Amino acid sequence: MTGFWAIYKREMLSLWVTPVAWILLVTFLLLQGGVFYSIVSHYSGAAELSFDNGPIEAYFGQGSIFLLVTLLLLCPALSMRLFSEERRSGTIESLLTAPVRALSIVLGKYLATLSTYILMWSPTLLYPFLLRDTGVVDGGVVFTSYLGLLLLGAAYLAVGTLMSALTQSQLSALMLTVLLQFGMFVLGVGEYIFDPGLLHSICSHVSMMSHMEEFSKGIIDLRRVVFDLSVVVLALFTTTEVVDSWRWS
Amino acid sequence: MPAKGPMIEANQLSKQYGSFTAVRDLSFSVAQGQVVGFLGPNGAGKTTTLRMLAGFLGPTSGNVRILGHDVTQEPMLARQSVGYMPEAAPLYPEMRVGEYLSFRAELKLVPRNQRKAAVSRCMEQARIADAKDTLIGHLSKGYRQRVGLADALVANPPLLILDEPTAGLDPNQIREVRELIAELGREHTILLSTHILQEVEAMCARALVMQKGQLVADGPMNALLREQNTRSLHWELRGPESTILNVLEGVGARLKNSATSPPGGCVQLQTEWGKELPDPEAAVEQAIALLVQKGVGVRRVYSERAKLEEVFSALTEAAEPSKMVPGNIQIEGSAP
Repeated sequence: MTGFWAIYKREMLSLWVTPVAWILLVTFLLLQGGVFYSIVSHYSGAAELSFDNGPIEAYFGQGSIFLLVTLLLLCPALSMRLFSEERRSGTIESLLTAPVRALSIVLGKYLATLSTYILMWSPTLLYPFLLRDTGVVDGGVVFTSYLGLLLLGAAYLAVGTLMSALTQSQLSALMLTVLLQFGMFVLGVGEYIFDPGLLHSICSHVSMMSHMEEFSKGIIDLRRVVFDLSVVVLALFTTTEVVDSWRWS
Repeated sequence: MPAKGPMIEANQLSKQYGSFTAVRDLSFSVAQGQVVGFLGPNGAGKTTTLRMLAGFLGPTSGNVRILGHDVTQEPMLARQSVGYMPEAAPLYPEMRVGEYLSFRAELKLVPRNQRKAAVSRCMEQARIADAKDTLIGHLSKGYRQRVGLADALVANPPLLILDEPTAGLDPNQIREVRELIAELGREHTILLSTHILQEVEAMCARALVMQKGQLVADGPMNALLREQNTRSLHWELRGPESTILNVLEGVGARLKNSATSPPGGCVQLQTEWGKELPDPEAAVEQAIALLVQKGVGVRRVYSERAKLEEVFSALTEAAEPSKMVPGNIQIEGSAP
């Protein structure tokens, strides 16, 4: 894995010294803050609160479409420039002639975006912390919710990494990733449309909404974990093959 | 320094892009310590060849060995010996020069405790030490080019492959880069490409000439040039034009054009030696002796600088690529 650490550090630097990460971070936190505020103000006016239906659960799951919409934009924006920019500017030539394997390059770049993704979510840890003053917060639910977000982000960023390797334009990489994520989102809606059966099962497996719904209730379904990790492994493996294939084009 | 043996061994190298053949059956070898120029017009396949040597592109057929390591079979070992500067030296504009070189040093396996020294050494060598904290995006073209050169040097590799190191520079910068390459040539094997003839003449002992993806000549630069220089001559003579023409035609020169300038009564001529003439230099000697003998004042005789296109056409006429064994063409008995 020589070279991995160097690539990772450079990618982090690149993300955070350019305005991209900061603009995303500000927009992201503004949106999340707004959503959280409206959820809390809604629940504070509610007459009755059941045990597993509080603001935390509503924020992370239960059809909180805002969270999913921000994910739809955040992940592609983080991953879009990974390879497309290197190929457009020609720096890929220096990178691929250094004694470093394609896998190290792919992992270094991918984990840099994943770290950035985690960093972006970390300020939201404040929300459950704030709620502890006014009520009981289930630590387990907070943990599984963040695990769900991590898995979802990991899968989307891996898909974004692959898309970025497939095109030389950042915009195309962004659009392709959004399209794929949106496709999975729409497929997930099918869960509510189809009668129980094969189609229903497929849709419920890929559904982002049911995914977050479960994790926000403190349920860790191994099938969800395996699905997300499979997407990560498959996408990153394919990216490595794509990077290696450039030599033979 | 590794064991003896050639630095680069290219064997029957070919690269095809779809149905287009960029490089065809290229074979040559470069000994350790040589400074070799890779010459050819745009689109001759120079960049493709250098990219294959550096390991950025895989050959469609054939193989390349760098210090005995096959570039595709043992890519990590082969690439460790190469400092490659791609054409136009692409860099990350958002990084500072020092940061970038430090990143490259780490990538090229320079041990952590030597990294700082390696970065300052290569910045010193490329004369960019004053730009250490400058953003690469703010640098001029000449500086960026030198950052690319510093990057090639950072791990102190035995072999430097430089693709058009002087492209896009102003004359002063070109001179600086040439001096730098001459300096580096003492410790490194260097392979550089250019489409400017003088470049190779100034920097390289040996030239490989490519045209249409094939090697058309391989030999010492001075031999390659002398061949051309003496074919076309300019004369500035004082005397009757008819006598002069008689003498020149007598030794086998072909008149290309002439002009008489009235004040001094000087005749300016341009002649060319026929291809069949075995020893043009002896003919020049003979012509001057005869002219002097006939009372003609010889003011100036000089050979015209060969243009790259002329060298190419001469070389391609001399050796039809299809009939040639690549890597074996020698000019005037020169040993590669």
